Amino acid sequence: MVELKPEHMKDIQGFVMSGYAHLPCVSYVMLRVLDVTAARGWLSSLVSEVTTSEGKQDVWSLNVALTHHGLTALGLEKSALESFSRPFIEGMATPHRSRILGDNNDDNSPNNWDWGGSKSEPIDILLLLFAQDEPTLDSLIKDQQAKYQTGGLAKVVALGAGRQPDIHEHFGFADGLGQPAIEGTFQTKDAPAGNVIKAGEILLSYINDYDQPADSPMVSLASDRNGLLPEPPPPTTGNSAPMATRDLGRNGSYLVFRQLAQHVARFCQFLEKATLQPDGQLDPAASTKLAAKFVGRWQSGAPLVMSPDADNPDLAKADDFTYRDSDERGFKCPIGSHIRRSNPRDSLGPTAAKARVTANRHRILRRGRSYGDRPKDRLVDDGVERGLHFLCLNSDIERQFEFVQQTWCNNPVFGGLNGEVDPLVGNLTRGDEIFTVQADPLRTRVHNLERFVTVKGGAYFFLPSLSALRYLAAL
Amino acid sequence: MAQMLLTFLTRVKPDKLDELRGFLDNDIAANLLENPYLPFPSLTRLHFASLFLDEGNTYGSYLVFENNFDGPLEDYLAELYAQAAPGLHRIYSCCLDYTAAGGADREVILAYLRKHIVRPNAYHIGNVGRSVERTLREGGLRDRLESFLDDFVRTEPSGQQPGFIRQKVQDCIRDEPAFAWVAQAEPRQTRLEWIKPRLKLSILAVAAFLLLPILLVPLIIWAVVLRYKEKRDPVPDKFDDIVRRVGGLVEREDRTHIVQNHLAHMTVVKPGLFRRWTLRLVLWLVNFVARTSDKGKLTGIPSIHYAHWSLIDNGRRLLFVSNFDGSWENYLDDFIDKASYGLTGIWSNTQHFPRTFLLFGKGADDGNRFKAWARDKQVYTNVWYCAYPSLTVETIDNNSEIREQLFTEADESATRKWLWRF
Repeated sequence: MVELKPEHMKDIQGFVMSGYAHLPCVSYVMLRVLDVTAARGWLSSLVSEVTTSEGKQDVWSLNVALTHHGLTALGLEKSALESFSRPFIEGMATPHRSRILGDNNDDNSPNNWDWGGSKSEPIDILLLLFAQDEPTLDSLIKDQQAKYQTGGLAKVVALGAGRQPDIHEHFGFADGLGQPAIEGTFQTKDAPAGNVIKAGEILLSYINDYDQPADSPMVSLASDRNGLLPEPPPPTTGNSAPMATRDLGRNGSYLVFRQLAQHVARFCQFLEKATLQPDGQLDPAASTKLAAKFVGRWQSGAPLVMSPDADNPDLAKADDFTYRDSDERGFKCPIGSHIRRSNPRDSLGPTAAKARVTANRHRILRRGRSYGDRPKDRLVDDGVERGLHFLCLNSDIERQFEFVQQTWCNNPVFGGLNGEVDPLVGNLTRGDEIFTVQADPLRTRVHNLERFVTVKGGAYFFLPSLSALRYLAAL
Repeated sequence: MAQMLLTFLTRVKPDKLDELRGFLDNDIAANLLENPYLPFPSLTRLHFASLFLDEGNTYGSYLVFENNFDGPLEDYLAELYAQAAPGLHRIYSCCLDYTAAGGADREVILAYLRKHIVRPNAYHIGNVGRSVERTLREGGLRDRLESFLDDFVRTEPSGQQPGFIRQKVQDCIRDEPAFAWVAQAEPRQTRLEWIKPRLKLSILAVAAFLLLPILLVPLIIWAVVLRYKEKRDPVPDKFDDIVRRVGGLVEREDRTHIVQNHLAHMTVVKPGLFRRWTLRLVLWLVNFVARTSDKGKLTGIPSIHYAHWSLIDNGRRLLFVSNFDGSWENYLDDFIDKASYGLTGIWSNTQHFPRTFLLFGKGADDGNRFKAWARDKQVYTNVWYCAYPSLTVETIDNNSEIREQLFTEADESATRKWLWRF
């Protein structure tokens, strides 16, 4: 059995354990391999610069992830390429994936993506660059650019985020709350008990919440000439002898990247219109409340379950709450709200405990950041794109990220609802889109929801361990 | 009349396999609702149907035609023939032992269908006693009431009393002749239908208890033999070609906005009479228990409309078909989290199932391996139809409750609870 120990931290990329909140400037650089030999050399010298989960880098951090296309380009052997998980092999832009992720419509279609789509240039490598300020980021970018350009790589696209004034995303809500905590790490220190997941839910080969080692890609023993990679975890229930393989995935994770443009003016105008008083007067309080009902938290981050009637900044980071006992019917936090769909906690299932176990099998570690400047007037469409670079980590894309999107956010009958999807990230393709605000004695339904979020690009990446990076560099 | 579940199981002529596959995919599935061959929406008794091919195994290729409908059987067959004779003829012309000269050969075609009926050894019905007609009508009532309540919220001042709201809803329906049927009683089951399976189950439990002294020794021997076999049954770590196969399977999934999906599944029973008879017994017991389910749940799973397990090929293979709500991942999760004992008890008797302990233990608990096994044994569903693709088991039940309680006496608390159903 593989256990997460402190000495593993130096083999795990720092992005797993930290979102680098102390480094507000970021650039996501997507690269394409032109010359495989040079690219391996580049990767080999890059490894020493990669930030690990050991210690904290105050000035800048660098992490690196690869697509299946990139691993193929680097010349990883066929059997190893086939041992990755299916979503990673196939990529984000297949027709079935578009159906379950909500991309099977004109706005979100991978045919129209800026990057990663069916008609875009393939992406091989993602370089994640973080820095304490703009000058540091600029020099980091220049420095890295010089290295990858001579290292047989070309830039496909670089996505900057721009420094954000606070943790609020563009619709105005505090973001990044309600994260799961990985068992055996510092993250569990202040975490509510129901929010702790096994290391194998994020890191490959570790024991997951089924008490099994998370599926991990394997390479042939012969290919690991320098003995860089660990042995695969022992089989738990199968009876085949351990094969002559080495574990490429251990201490690595899968990284999901989706660029989500947010239409702030459309969102705010809709809220205003939907909450007009009968005499046509604006009702700012009702508008704010409806937005909170969409999200499930107030703008400060205070959960509706704990503070149903008004925002309460004292509860801004509160995460120790459940639904079953306090709000079974959704009178406080609507059943279809974004946070209740994305993590139903103890609400779905025969008992609270069982529901919690099931829900925790579909958690993701979010690492997203807003991009683009805040609009001057939130009600006016200034034509400038802004949104969220949604990044998350998980060990099983199908069971975690895709499940949340498919079975919870895009499910028109989630939790007994009758034909509505997540008001923010759901697949609005059904004509008159509704959102139900449950209330006692009678619910209100908001009609004709518009698309407040559009997908601009996306891809699945493998975030390897340091050992795996060294192995890939030595191919 | 109660719902019925069955499949028509026929062997495909080897040289007609490609033709039949093409016909099912291109002429029927590609034009599911308007194809002239199997005009599903005209089959007024039909809830769910599927057609799929089990290709190229040692038993030859089979065509499975799954039917879940409102009985009696003969009425359904008559309607099926009346609406779909050309399609039936076209399809079964590709199958062995079919002798009809044309679609007009009514008696030959019906006799052929009757002869190839496979009734499930165990089955589950999610919404017991709700006919197609009733399901659709109650869905329509729900839609009408939802839009009435939308208007109510828009036009009436807020803070209305529950009793007043309910009164208004009742008035709205009472005034509409189209909803005259709402007030007529329509029990889901007769008293006898409800009591019978429970009585049988109780008798079985008492009998088992009384016979325990006699059964104890055989039971222990059975357990010892079972453990011996369980330790030795081969369990593969990986299935060949699984990525490509699953890629093909998922291309057919989640087409109804992810509300419902279909699963067809074919497993080979482990060799030997021991497993064959154990499986037969387990299915027999599961069926007893499943007959007492009237809250829509199959061992705790709330999302299955119709599911059947059928032993075929003289008990050597197990066919499973299921029409369920939500995604495949969610369905399999439900298996693992809510019903792992019962399902492990069944499928542990079939090949390649994850390692079990005393038939019911472990097995499906091994989530990833169980899912890989389930995908490996899954068969492409070529054609799949549902009469109400936007309704879940839960929604259908909720719609029935709304209708059944619309005109009943209700105090303030009951009125509130009823209004929460919207």
